[in-house]
Amino acid sequence: MKRFSMGASAVALATLPFNALQANELNPDVSVILDGYYKQNATALSHRGQGFGLGHTELSLSSPIDNLFEGRLTAVLEDHEGETELELEEAFLQTTGMPYNLSVRGGRFLSQVGYLNSRHLHEDDFVERPAVYRALLGSHYFDDGLRLNLLLPVPFYWQIGAEAFDGGRLSEGDEDIGVYTVNTRVGGDLTRSHSWQAGFSYLNNRQIQGGHGDDHDDHDHGDHDHGGHSHGAGYTGENLYITDLVWKWAPDGNNRQQQLTLSGEYLYADNLNEHATSDDVHEGWYASAVYQFAPQWSVGTRYGQVELKEAHGDHFHDQELKETDVMLAWSHSHFSTVRLQYTHQDADGFDQADNTVILQYVMSFGAHGAHGF
Amino acid sequence: MAFKQLVAATMLGLAVMPAQAALNVFACEPEWADLARALVPDADIHTATSAQQDPHYIEARPSLIAAMRRADIAVCTGASLEAGWLPALISRASNRDVQPGKPGLFFTAEQVSLHQPHDHVDRSMGDVHPEGDPHIHLDPDRLPVVVDALADRLVALAPSDENAIRLRQRQWQVRWKLDTARWRQAADNLGGLSVAVQHSTFGYLLRWLSVESAIDLEPKPGLPPSASHLSDVLSDPALARVKLILIATYQDERPARWLANQTQLPIEVLPGTVNDQPETDSLAELIDHLIDRLAHHQKAADHG
Repeated sequence: MKRFSMGASAVALATLPFNALQANELNPDVSVILDGYYKQNATALSHRGQGFGLGHTELSLSSPIDNLFEGRLTAVLEDHEGETELELEEAFLQTTGMPYNLSVRGGRFLSQVGYLNSRHLHEDDFVERPAVYRALLGSHYFDDGLRLNLLLPVPFYWQIGAEAFDGGRLSEGDEDIGVYTVNTRVGGDLTRSHSWQAGFSYLNNRQIQGGHGDDHDDHDHGDHDHGGHSHGAGYTGENLYITDLVWKWAPDGNNRQQQLTLSGEYLYADNLNEHATSDDVHEGWYASAVYQFAPQWSVGTRYGQVELKEAHGDHFHDQELKETDVMLAWSHSHFSTVRLQYTHQDADGFDQADNTVILQYVMSFGAHGAHGF
Repeated sequence: MAFKQLVAATMLGLAVMPAQAALNVFACEPEWADLARALVPDADIHTATSAQQDPHYIEARPSLIAAMRRADIAVCTGASLEAGWLPALISRASNRDVQPGKPGLFFTAEQVSLHQPHDHVDRSMGDVHPEGDPHIHLDPDRLPVVVDALADRLVALAPSDENAIRLRQRQWQVRWKLDTARWRQAADNLGGLSVAVQHSTFGYLLRWLSVESAIDLEPKPGLPPSASHLSDVLSDPALARVKLILIATYQDERPARWLANQTQLPIEVLPGTVNDQPETDSLAELIDHLIDRLAHHQKAADHG
């Protein structure tokens, strides 16, 4: 290696590449996610078909808009039975200049209910979201609406938020504002190595309430939806409650080398439609443990179950799905992951339940993604 | 003392409301907390990372969001070092004072010229930052520039403290000048030393000392040492010049141990930044310590 004469090199370095950089900075951050897989068998409540397939191919642009707003656009290309669909998953602006740690987000975005829902699918540790998420939130619920978030002035992390959505992406209906959510999240570090976060969310689906005469027709079709076109939730209720807890351990907080992540959520939905009694509820949970034992390797296991009521006119059929996943993932760099997963399904009232091996890749290029908690 | 308790609680992530008057500083890395402490010792300073952590790979944890919420100024490296977590932190904290373009967000790497900026980067080159190598915090010539710029910024944010900040700025510069003269002398004895490193953590200081980083255990910047790269290293002719394997405390020691076993070279695991050990709890002491250790191995190699 050359020994530098400091002064001369400093001058040369300072002038040369500066213009190129400045021009670049006006471009938005662009990132592309490639997600592909091979799946041995079809499974119940799954968005991924048997054989080779593409998952959630994503193109995302984000940038500050001016000194008061930032924006993001995320387009998702998904393949369904030979047809490629282009869908806008996110198209929102967010304020950056509000007082009192307030922020407002408007447009289309992922609801922040629960722990997983506001995360992008490619950040997940398993090929698919837990069964309860696939049933009650269509894997990830996003919609057109408005969000208000506030960080409370307390010594620890405490966020409260409220969202209002069109609601058409969760279930059909005529309400202008079909969905309201409120949620709160607290968290902190126990020591340098341990950190945690807990959350509680409530989602009010106003389009479910009895009186909308033809609602039950839609519910009859609910079962067909998740195999085919719709990305909405197959199972809904007027009230959805979610509690979530995440705990992470990394020696000295150095999550580059090692990290153990334990997470779990419980979801409960009632008032399923005008025929529902108080016993007719959807209920499910999952618990997951993922251990990144070296910078490039992680193993994980997840168990989840969901008990559902499938609407048939004026009565319900019981359905139950129990799912166990085991996965091994190799991330050569921060931008490439190859994952091998085995999924075991145990079901009541689902035709397609099966066990399967899935090999998946998730690759990204462009802007560096965020390391959320 | 109430203030000491405040700092202790902050370190635990259970931080408490700052006193009304004190400036609240969020330091992305401990080296910038050290500079902030030199200029505004009464400030409430929260350090987001430690010498045990790889600053490229931090998560936007709840405790960090809470600390960023309270900050009057965030002092970070920039040049994409924190690209994976700082933007998420800024966005989630919704602190209107700490936003890109605001005086409350100070990037030290923007105050100086960087080593190895690139007109073109792509990820096949590894995690290379287009702006250049961001690990400027051990460079005796660049830090005074950073301190002057930081002092200007702090004065802009707390004009009533101007006299005190300017006084401490001058004191720091005088001390640093004396230290630098001492390090310059030590550097004369280190010329010709070659080391194997892992990542460019110590790069600016090693260049300043004219110590050659002949071998990098990382196959590409940011990628962990692989078996195939380590076997390439073994057959690299540059290895013959190497007297020492130098890695940072946050790094995995196994690749360095393996290489040491193969080559009988000594290993030094040194803090990549300021930590809470008495001999390395300020930037000047850390540089002293690093030079001491390098000189020790240089001497040992000469005698061996």
